[in-house]
Amino acid sequence: MNKLFPTQEVGSLAKPRWRIKGYRGKPLSKEEIAEAVDWGRKLGIENLGELVKLLSKGDSAGRKSALLEWSAKYAIRFFETAGLDIVFDGEQWRSEMYEHVIRKTAGFKFLGYVKSFDYRYFNKAACIDKPKYAKSFYLDEFLFTKENTKKEIKVPFTGAYTLVDWTFNEYYEKKFSGKIRDFKRRKFEAKRDFLFDLIKEVIRPEISKLIDAGAKWIQIDEPAATTNPADEEMKLFVESFNETVKGFNCVFSLHNCYSNYEVLARHSCELRNCSQLSLEFANRDSRQTGTGNERTGYNSIKLFEEHSFQGNYGLGVVDVHTNFVEPPELVRDRILYVVEIIGDPSRIYVSTDCGLRTRTWEISFRKLKNMVLGAELARKALE
Amino acid sequence: MIGCYVTGVLPRSSKLIEKTRTYERGKISEKELEESFEKATESAIKAQISAGLNYITDGMLKWQDLFRPFTENLKGITVGSLTRWFNNNTFYRQPIITDYVEREKGVVNNMMQLEKLPKNLPWKAILPAPYTFVSLSENQYYKDEAEFMFKFAEIINEEIKSSAEIGFSYIQLSDPALVYEPLAPKFRKDKLALVNDVLETAVKGTSVKTCLQTFFGDFSKILPEALDFPVDHLGIDLYETDFEKLKEYSFEKGVALGLIDSRSSLVEEQDELVAAAKEIIESIYRSGMEEVFICPNCDLDFLPWERAEEKMKVISSVTKRLREEF
Repeated sequence: MNKLFPTQEVGSLAKPRWRIKGYRGKPLSKEEIAEAVDWGRKLGIENLGELVKLLSKGDSAGRKSALLEWSAKYAIRFFETAGLDIVFDGEQWRSEMYEHVIRKTAGFKFLGYVKSFDYRYFNKAACIDKPKYAKSFYLDEFLFTKENTKKEIKVPFTGAYTLVDWTFNEYYEKKFSGKIRDFKRRKFEAKRDFLFDLIKEVIRPEISKLIDAGAKWIQIDEPAATTNPADEEMKLFVESFNETVKGFNCVFSLHNCYSNYEVLARHSCELRNCSQLSLEFANRDSRQTGTGNERTGYNSIKLFEEHSFQGNYGLGVVDVHTNFVEPPELVRDRILYVVEIIGDPSRIYVSTDCGLRTRTWEISFRKLKNMVLGAELARKALE
Repeated sequence: MIGCYVTGVLPRSSKLIEKTRTYERGKISEKELEESFEKATESAIKAQISAGLNYITDGMLKWQDLFRPFTENLKGITVGSLTRWFNNNTFYRQPIITDYVEREKGVVNNMMQLEKLPKNLPWKAILPAPYTFVSLSENQYYKDEAEFMFKFAEIINEEIKSSAEIGFSYIQLSDPALVYEPLAPKFRKDKLALVNDVLETAVKGTSVKTCLQTFFGDFSKILPEALDFPVDHLGIDLYETDFEKLKEYSFEKGVALGLIDSRSSLVEEQDELVAAAKEIIESIYRSGMEEVFICPNCDLDFLPWERAEEKMKVISSVTKRLREEF
């Protein structure tokens, strides 16, 4: 990118009510249809009458896929209108980052809900056979996005390490049963085999298809990267990233958030072909403007610098967990503070902390607009 | 003697999970949720009895995390933000220590569904060990961490005594933090001596059996010092512990062998478990065997209910087979 501080988001955007209810085949209220029209006008979406017709009708053949296309178009336009330089479709075609991939891949079975915290749970699958590519899970979504934007595209892609970490490993643990006596060693070796089979059989084939279809930049999402900070595990994570991207003619970046950055930083320079680390900082920072002691959240960037990470940063300057809309001046100061630390401003991409899926469209839009304005202020300040 | 029991929170059934979610969405009353918890507790107790476990817990279905009853009920502590629970994809709310910590009323007794526990079988209760509670809290009040640890140990001591009074005969103190990260060699000795003294305070004057249950880490890291800890039994996570190192030591204390993996949905091969347990028992008891318990390595609530139930049955049949061997 030629200009300083290109702006990007990380992946997900909330699904509008008309998309969720419509997809489930439920009738929509007048207000919900009006909401679709309002946003459509705001975003300059063409042929709104067609969408209204689709939403007013009951279930029909092709309704579901039409709705996916409509909501993807809305999300792409949403990011474009907010002024971002790099976009995707807000992951409108995915149920969420884990289930979407697992359900489309052979060798897995969902066992049911297990506890996450309090009254929150997640549907956890077990690997019961060697994972096998069954159908593409991101390709069609990418093709649609490509057709519908002229902006640069970054494809979010759930990483293999996270998929493995969030899945019970029955097939491989059974395979090693009786072969390695030490339980701990056995579990680790079983995890390793699972991981590299998944990369070889499923992850790389999909990446290959995306690249053949014209993808230029893939963001590997690894929220689980530092879940197990033991050295052996971190080495496994790094190896999995390197194996995932090996030999492809494409830009790759890594997104990781709400994690232990001390641990990640220690291993960051071992990541090969990782052009950008997209990290969350705003969530850890104060809301006061300034480029001094106020910027408590951004000190961990020093860890990555100390460990000689040479790539770019996707610098999280927008907190996705609050409705507080960061003023452009705060965004500017967060950027300038980091410029001061790392020296080279061209290594900074201005970003949200994580996907915006937990915020409403109203809040997300205001946050992104201010992010874009803040990046502009930072550019001016450096002129 | 070889017995068996569970070592933590049991999973909520899919029915109960659905109820908690509808409650969160404001669609059912607290009373209805309460009734669902009661029913599920009955099933959790029944499952332990019918599997043939020797000590029965109430399943701890309401415990949002190991600390929550304490975080919510002790004076001087507030409920903090979500924090990752060791190397798991689960989270606890961090206790924030803002003032002098005091126990104004019983903490866990109110959580227990006493009337549902069986009359003819002994009861087991599970509490956080002081070291883990203090290590995972954010301490904004105590200048000296040891002072806070002793204070919490006193509270645990009162909890143990009141649990004993209402009929519990076995108390487990869960201490994952003690083995999770390697203790820095420089501080190791002092730290383990402190843990020893803190445990002394926690169990002082109590008449029940006690177990220090470690998990998520290698138990051999705290050997041989742990052999002198003032508890009756030591709990070991065999999915994290180096077998060979463990076998180097001679035990004169009972153990709780975490032989079942709560973090894996694969139901274990019984032959293999029996062989592994036998090997360990024969190695560590050179001058006569002590009490041994077969148990899951940690809380079974990492699994869906059905899988946990199956694993409880495995625990029980492996125990029976081991009894024939020893």
